[in-house]
Amino acid sequence: MKKGILLRLLVPFLTVFFLMGFSTIAVAEQIMIGGIMDTTGATSDVGKDYALGMAEAFKYINDHGGVNGKKIKYNWFDYGYRIPEAIIKFKMLRRLKCIAIMGWGTGDTEALSPSANKHRIPYVSGSYSAHLTDPTKTPYNLFFSSDYSTNARVCITAWFDKKWPRHRDYGKRKPRFACCYHFAHPYCSAPIRAIKDQAKLLGFEIGEDVSVALFALNTRSQISALKKFKPDLVWHGNTTMSVSATIQEAYKMALGADHIVNNWGFDENLPRLAGKAAEGVMGATPCAFFGQNYKNMDKVVAAARKYNPAVPAEKRLIRTVQAWGAALLLWEAMKRADKAGDLTGEGIMKKGFETLRNFNIGLGASPITFTSTDHRPTSGSLVQEWKNGKFREMDRVDLKKRWPEKWAKEWLGW
Amino acid sequence: MKKKLVLMTVLLFGLGVVLTSCVTIPVKPSAANFKAPVITLESFEIPQYDGYWYYGSKTKPTKGKAGNHGAPLPMNFVFSIENPNPYPVLLEGMKFTVAFDKEFDLVTVSNQDASWIPAGKTNQVRASTLITVRSGLLSLLVTGGYKLKARGWSPWKALERWWTGVPDYTLPVTVHEGAFVFKADGLVKVLPFETTFK
Repeated sequence: MKKGILLRLLVPFLTVFFLMGFSTIAVAEQIMIGGIMDTTGATSDVGKDYALGMAEAFKYINDHGGVNGKKIKYNWFDYGYRIPEAIIKFKMLRRLKCIAIMGWGTGDTEALSPSANKHRIPYVSGSYSAHLTDPTKTPYNLFFSSDYSTNARVCITAWFDKKWPRHRDYGKRKPRFACCYHFAHPYCSAPIRAIKDQAKLLGFEIGEDVSVALFALNTRSQISALKKFKPDLVWHGNTTMSVSATIQEAYKMALGADHIVNNWGFDENLPRLAGKAAEGVMGATPCAFFGQNYKNMDKVVAAARKYNPAVPAEKRLIRTVQAWGAALLLWEAMKRADKAGDLTGEGIMKKGFETLRNFNIGLGASPITFTSTDHRPTSGSLVQEWKNGKFREMDRVDLKKRWPEKWAKEWLGW
Repeated sequence: MKKKLVLMTVLLFGLGVVLTSCVTIPVKPSAANFKAPVITLESFEIPQYDGYWYYGSKTKPTKGKAGNHGAPLPMNFVFSIENPNPYPVLLEGMKFTVAFDKEFDLVTVSNQDASWIPAGKTNQVRASTLITVRSGLLSLLVTGGYKLKARGWSPWKALERWWTGVPDYTLPVTVHEGAFVFKADGLVKVLPFETTFK
């Protein structure tokens, strides 16, 4: 009888004891996400800000419920903008069982595309090359922004609509257009075919391309070459330092052209480096600049302050916001896939990304749609202009609305 | 019988009180009592040194494939973390940027290894990174052009200066934009960090 009472007391006691013990070592379910960033290499000036923003965004996501209660473990590594290193890092992230990877440049993204497709790992990149938007060729490549080709088409169209009618030669002749970029670089050359196609469509006279190295500080000879053609508009496809050097030289040599810039050359550092020459420069922005007054920007700024208090706000760039765009996009896709009970690479793609229809992440970005046949995230972009010491909205062009036939049948994937 | 029962109860109660008093009552972390851990850069080490060299892709190597390759410069940073709190804190990760000659950022290091620091104790954590003359060259060419111009330096001059001076401890190494993330029972504290190792 006494033994019976003892056992009746001991068994529940031990059960509770063991459960309590195990609960302290029980590991909550974690979602592994990888990151391949450039914080040492050729694009580290913007890559660092992007990497910081990405880590902050995932911390914010975890602080706000994770993926339907599951926390994310974000493992990111520097690859120094070296493709062999990116390939090694991809293999390592696979071994860590990452179900999606946040990538970086056009070189690594295009090099890793076959592996991402083979292993069905969504690769959300900072490269917005239109070559990555055709799901018959690159089904697991994604990004949140309008692609480089769309940006280029949007910018030249915005200039044609808003600036050209105010030109003294409007109605008398065709506007003249030329491109400045590092010919051999995949990022710089990615939208060339598209922008020339758009220039032709709008009736521009197109001059010869001018090669400007990504590390150029002296661009006198290039501007001299452009002066012979007398362009009204120049498109710049490089990154911020060489774009600012080119614009400065054009200003000094009174080229007399307006400038439009692809998004990795158009940031808060451009006016700092180019000074007066930056006045009136325009660019397609995938999202708002850091701190601009748009939905969700307060979260970006607060997280930057909270998680990187030693980096002053004036040093933060639009790159942080772009990283958030990528992270928020993946977050939504994962939540949908998880709800559908399929939080795998394939599930995130099919039951997540490809179910998004005009999804609004805020941050000044255009609404995002992915379908199983079209991975162009948006059909237009916001164009901003540096004017009187501020970036300001100049135009928002939607190519699909303006040229629906061409958008649907001609422009996918290039 | 009743006396025995009362005596036993009193004895058991007394024993309970004595045992409880022997156990330190743990302090629960709160926003009010969570003191900032103290971070110190204890040492900066070059764990392996391979000199200063660079060869371009046109140079035929004795073995292996040709390419643009430069001397590696591995770096270790050892931080002491003192926990002044009466409870353990978790260092969840750290991030910082390394600059040479104060203004040339060469690498941003992220270490996501979790490390516990016991109550009132000091622990040491090591962050390792590696840059090469090639990565430094690209970084300088594409992003550091204006700063080099202001100093009247070529990229090669800067790289040779760093690859010979930093291992020699004749050039200061700056750690800045640091962010150390600490956690204690759900509370988060992110501490900024900046120092120069001379």
